[in-house]
Amino acid sequence: MFNSSILEVRNVSKTFNGVVKALDGVSMAVKENEIVSVVGENGAGKSTLMKILVGIYPPDAGELYHKGAKVPFPRNPMEALKRGISIVYQEKGIIPHLKVYQFLFLGLEEKFTRLGRLQLERILGIAKTVLDELGVKCDITSYMYELPLSMQKMVEIVRAILSIRLEHGGAESDGVNPIIILDEPTAPLSREERDELFSHLLEMKKTSSFIFVSHIIPEVMEFSERIYVLRDGKLVAHHDLSREKPTEEELFKEIVGRESHRYLWAKYIYGKPEELKGRPIILSVKNLSKKGYYQDVSFDLHKGECIGLFGPAGSGKSEIARTIYGILAPDSGMIITNGKKVGLKDEPHRRLKMGIGYFSGETGKELFLYWPIRKNISLVNMEKVVKKPIKIAAIINFKAERSLAEKVMKEMRIRAPSVETECYSLSGGNKQKISVGKWLERSPNILVLLDPTIGIDVGSREEIYEALLEMKKGGISMILVSDDPKEYAILCDRIILVKDGKLKKIYTNDEFRKVMQL
Amino acid sequence: MKNESRKKSTALPILFSTARMLMRTPAFWLIIGLAVLFTALYSGSFLSSTNLENILKGFVVTSMLSVGPTFVVLMGSLDVSYIGIWMFGGALVWLLFPYLGMVSIFVYPIFGLAIGLVNGIVHVKTKIPSFILTIAITAVFAYLTTVIRNIYGVLTLAVPEYRFLAGSVIPYLPNTFLLALPVLALSIFFMNFTKLGTYLCAIGSNEEGAELAGINVKKYKVLGFSVSGFLTGLGSIALFSYLGARAPVTLDLNEMVRGLAAIVLGGTPLVGGVGGPHRTLFGALAYTLIFNGLFLTGIDPNQFKLYIGLTLWGAVLIASRRLKGVLIA
Repeated sequence: MFNSSILEVRNVSKTFNGVVKALDGVSMAVKENEIVSVVGENGAGKSTLMKILVGIYPPDAGELYHKGAKVPFPRNPMEALKRGISIVYQEKGIIPHLKVYQFLFLGLEEKFTRLGRLQLERILGIAKTVLDELGVKCDITSYMYELPLSMQKMVEIVRAILSIRLEHGGAESDGVNPIIILDEPTAPLSREERDELFSHLLEMKKTSSFIFVSHIIPEVMEFSERIYVLRDGKLVAHHDLSREKPTEEELFKEIVGRESHRYLWAKYIYGKPEELKGRPIILSVKNLSKKGYYQDVSFDLHKGECIGLFGPAGSGKSEIARTIYGILAPDSGMIITNGKKVGLKDEPHRRLKMGIGYFSGETGKELFLYWPIRKNISLVNMEKVVKKPIKIAAIINFKAERSLAEKVMKEMRIRAPSVETECYSLSGGNKQKISVGKWLERSPNILVLLDPTIGIDVGSREEIYEALLEMKKGGISMILVSDDPKEYAILCDRIILVKDGKLKKIYTNDEFRKVMQL
Repeated sequence: MKNESRKKSTALPILFSTARMLMRTPAFWLIIGLAVLFTALYSGSFLSSTNLENILKGFVVTSMLSVGPTFVVLMGSLDVSYIGIWMFGGALVWLLFPYLGMVSIFVYPIFGLAIGLVNGIVHVKTKIPSFILTIAITAVFAYLTTVIRNIYGVLTLAVPEYRFLAGSVIPYLPNTFLLALPVLALSIFFMNFTKLGTYLCAIGSNEEGAELAGINVKKYKVLGFSVSGFLTGLGSIALFSYLGARAPVTLDLNEMVRGLAAIVLGGTPLVGGVGGPHRTLFGALAYTLIFNGLFLTGIDPNQFKLYIGLTLWGAVLIASRRLKGVLIA
């Protein structure tokens, strides 16, 4: 079986700072022309394993085999490139103001310089052939930022393949089988863009192999040949999908080590239309319009209700949500909360005073990464942790601040050494829990949720769902915008279909689950 | 033993965090290094009481020019209007003294606050880069100071009645230092113990995040500039007494640079977000020591401009190094 493996690692272990065991005797193999998935929660060891493969970390123990022959582990990314391994990071990303061909050959110019002049014709020629061969259709003279997100990702992948090929002689495909590591490539993409990306990957598979790092179960099941499951630094399962296909539930259990979200459906009751009518209306949106984004949007949000705005990317759903928090100003219409009219051009701080909060999964934007957890939590809860001897001097009570943060950490099950820990050192899931947790304490009347669980692992995701559902039970109303139908089914009482900037149809939770077959 | 365990609950964490802050401040190590070096090289002159007093005076000047603007740097903008406030504020004190008497020195903080407010509002409304805006204002005030001198036909704008501020009430502690103390205390208090400080820091480290967290970014930016202006104005009283009851009448590169250099040297990077006035104090002391040491070597003072440039360069280098360390960790 191992004969056809081009790359194989055996019993790799890695310990950080002498205490944190990131990898514990993990073995995996990559064959020619296949997509292998490595799945696991944040902190399961996926990234560490990949960083060892591309020479960023040295392993403590373990062996590496390349085409059956034992070789030392690469000591830096250049050596990895010589072995035919390259990585496309989740968000290191592209350089927006370079043209496609410039980006493709970035750092490789030396190879194409003659007498101090760049051989532009040759570069353009190679760029065109390689893109054509790999089935990526884009104009090589357009700027990177002009391309759609999925296409940018494709160009990044092509760049990785090209640099490996050039390292091995030529731009043609013969002889080398590049191994490209894709570190959560779909995280920033919408559903449609994901499908686009995968159709390209299947095409590229003819000449390359991919290690696909992800925690989105359905796409892993759909597109990979084999799946390795990591949990707490150990390899807990290996599935060869051509022989046996685990169910999503089984895979979930292997990743997290416990049952999946179905218990949430059993535990919480979703509002029926008649019952919702009896509740007070907290937010009323009337004829809201913004040219080019959405038109004539009207809906009522009841106390303790969660409304989902569901639709394809570009339907205007996220713009509506952002308008409600004041990040975007509408052209016309009316927003009424608790009987008071909201100024259409009011900024977020005004909205917050009226009881509207906002939470998005983009922790990079929302969190202060170099601040301790304590300060990140108190930032929106200032009123709870300050003393005011005179009106203008709001003095922070550090003891209150710490105990508030400790309370949130306990409630949200945030795994960190203390409230003084700086946020950048935490895993994505824990970061997100801090973002949610700060609102838990503030408890606004309305919480606008924009992709609340984007890019985090399944386990943390469930915990965030549970926290949000508890908040909802406590009477907080919510508006959800996301990409994942399951998320709507878990969180929302009513789901509104948005298409081309217009509200089309309202589903109850039950109806939605039936339509989506969840 | 008993005493220690009782103290443990409150004093120890503060002591601990202060110690950690010190360890992470490059300027702290720089100060120790310079002190050791100069003591070894010029033990007699460096540790003499007059020299120590000089260092203290130099420290006061540098810190008074830098603690206020630290607030603005912290929120990711720049404020170099401190020279303008110092110069033209002095001219105002001189102008108003015949009418207001001894009270006129309090024109300084009021003027500083007003300029800070104007800076803030213009910056927020017109989105002119703050560095350009405040340097322009400084140039205008430098010109206006000259105009006043020309109109009244005087060389300096000294108010001899305030000379008593110079001297030392307490031996070895110059009065300028005593005048500076409330400014230092206020700035550290504002930054570390109030909502205002937290919000300014938030704006500096992640403006979009601050806005999403429901902070009125525009309002706090104006407040940041106002605090900067106010503290500079208050500090200018100490500077006024330092120069023997007068303000400078010409724009000097050294004065301009020393404020910024102290901020950066102390460990508040120009992009904002981390640092604070407490750090700037270390920066100010380090800056003062460097130049004190240069005086002791007997180098031609004309070369000092070269060293000013080099220090600023080095300061930025150190600060960015520190930032990188954080990013890699």
